[in-house]
Amino acid sequence: MVGLINNWMTQAEASLDDSKQPSWLQLKRQTAQQQLQQLDDPSRTLELWRYADVSRLSKSLNSVVAPSQSKSADSGETDLLIVLNESGYTCIGQQPEWLTIQSLVEMAAQDWQDITFDQETVVNLANTLLVQSGGLITVKTTQQPVHIKLVYDFADPEAWQYVRNHFNIAGGTKVHITEQHQTGRINAVNVYRLAAGAELIRQQDIQLNVAEQFVSYNQFDTAQNVDVVNMNHHIGGSLQHHHHVVNFNAERSKYKSGSINKSFDDNNITDIVNVNHHFKYNQSDVTHRSIAKDRSQIFNNAKAYVAVGADQTEIEQDLKNILLSPDAKIFSKPELEVYTDEVVAAHGSTIGALDDTVLFYLQSRGIDIEQSRDIMIESFEREALVC
Amino acid sequence: MLKVDNVFAKAGEKEILKGLSLTVKPGEVHAIMGPNGSGKSTFGNLLAGMPYVTPQSGSVEYMGKDLLSLEPAERAAEGVFLAFQYPVEIPGVNNMYFLRTALNAQRKYRGEEPMDSAQFLRMVKQKIKDLNMRDDLLKRPVNVGFSGGEKKRNEVFQMGVLEPKLAILDETDSGLDIDALKIVADGVNHLRSPDRSFIIITHYQRLLDYIKPDYVHVLADGKIAKTGDKSLAFELEEQGYGWLNK
Ligand SMILES: Nc1ncnc2c1ncn2[C@@H]1O[C@H](COP(=O)(O)OP(=O)(O)OP(=O)(O)O)[C@@H](O)[C@H]1O
Ligand SMILES: [Mg+2]
Repeated sequence: MVGLINNWMTQAEASLDDSKQPSWLQLKRQTAQQQLQQLDDPSRTLELWRYADVSRLSKSLNSVVAPSQSKSADSGETDLLIVLNESGYTCIGQQPEWLTIQSLVEMAAQDWQDITFDQETVVNLANTLLVQSGGLITVKTTQQPVHIKLVYDFADPEAWQYVRNHFNIAGGTKVHITEQHQTGRINAVNVYRLAAGAELIRQQDIQLNVAEQFVSYNQFDTAQNVDVVNMNHHIGGSLQHHHHVVNFNAERSKYKSGSINKSFDDNNITDIVNVNHHFKYNQSDVTHRSIAKDRSQIFNNAKAYVAVGADQTEIEQDLKNILLSPDAKIFSKPELEVYTDEVVAAHGSTIGALDDTVLFYLQSRGIDIEQSRDIMIESFEREALVC
Repeated sequence: MLKVDNVFAKAGEKEILKGLSLTVKPGEVHAIMGPNGSGKSTFGNLLAGMPYVTPQSGSVEYMGKDLLSLEPAERAAEGVFLAFQYPVEIPGVNNMYFLRTALNAQRKYRGEEPMDSAQFLRMVKQKIKDLNMRDDLLKRPVNVGFSGGEKKRNEVFQMGVLEPKLAILDETDSGLDIDALKIVADGVNHLRSPDRSFIIITHYQRLLDYIKPDYVHVLADGKIAKTGDKSLAFELEEQGYGWLNK
């Protein structure tokens, strides 16, 4: 069988000498190509792919039915709607003065963030090799908080779309960025660079139908006094794989995230958060609430690394999981890797069914069993709502 | 209203109810006393439909219906209410939301219009007054962080809002201070009417000073061992349960 790496290589050949792309980008892609030649195809032996069926990445999605109806690309409460599709970023309506957008072709080489992908993150490395769309979005304002919604809306449901988004958030800027999936089979790498005093609320809303797939790697790099709130909704899909990496690159910043993962049928969802406390006085607080039904699987984890000398670090990891059927599986184990003494850390994880005594209590007041379950699940999810 | 006929039932794997019979007519108050572990809560749980309690034989007729064939939520909508010996905490679910959802689910089952939030609020405010309930508790998640006594009072408050036809109070008086005991008794007396019945499980006759029972039963070893009037409660309090075996 021809492996995934081979597929990626073949696909890249057609576009590697794309004269429309700047030479620095072609060089990055060639480097990724060389790196990939040294690596093995992703498989269950990888920590990050242990509890998902990685072979689905290369399967045809011919079972794709209509796109999920509940999604709508309206701007809602937002100040700006940006649609990303085969022809790049499009602002719907007037582009505000606090925002600039540059496509991959337009952006400067030094604005591209190199990320060290390795065997574990080989699927994200493919993103560098095959990147076609994305670019740089810069937000700079000292006014009110602004709200941007970025919608993935690719016409082709079958072909993988390799998307690289760089978000530069200027010092003191308060911004809320919602990333939402509408259509398309996406492999995205998102880099959020936050200058001193920036405040980011980032929302990832990935709700997929049974056949759809979405892979994302999300990196947050903070200067000092930065505040990041990261709210994730991951619902359904043949395969969802999300990896969040937070790098505290200075002191006194906060990262708070909430993830709600819900799987049905034979969905595979992976949601990993790695927080790297490289410096002192940073706080991270990670909450996951996951619910698996039918034959689906969820792998969700939080790992915090605290470097030597990164004193006064505060870490919280709270992972709770509910299994709604005997065939569903969830794996979750918070991890700490600490190389200093002055750390306050709390972590816990549980996996179980819905509490029978609560379920009966609700029913005994006249609420039928289905609604009682819904109420319990809703309140469980609410614990992970961070914004 | 309720006719329990020779019921045998298990709690988990264990045979607990062994030939229990009891008839409750509309408007009556029945007190059930009995030693720890004799099956009092199991009986209350059986009536409410707790899944751990499985009937083996016998029958329970409630307002002309086969009670044991109904789902727990259906029983509630038909007017059965159990005040739990150990009320359950429901994190994340606000008391008011919970009660309105419950009330409207019952109304829907009975083919009645749902109560809108304004109507509901008005009704609840009145009940808070009637039952001397602390209204800040209602803004909190159900029973979370409530003291033992507050949980019991919340059960009585729920009973007041849901207005059941048959209310079973499982040791609602245990752990209450004397003022709270009066409030709970007031709550029950407030609801007493010719078409409403109560089964009151208790260890103490003092509650029966405030709620006058029509009958006092002793439940021992899974069945009704003795039935009397209020004086039986006094006798039990003075002599314990030992003499029953003689
Ligand atoms: N789910 C269960 N599984 C197994 N045994 C149970 C279960 N529930 C109750 N029991 C047992 O059934 C017996 C009767 O319990 P029950 O709670 O009905 O007693 P009670 O009369 O209410 O006692 P108390 O006065 O202490 O409240 C006890 O021995 C108890 O341990
Ligand atoms: Mg009991």
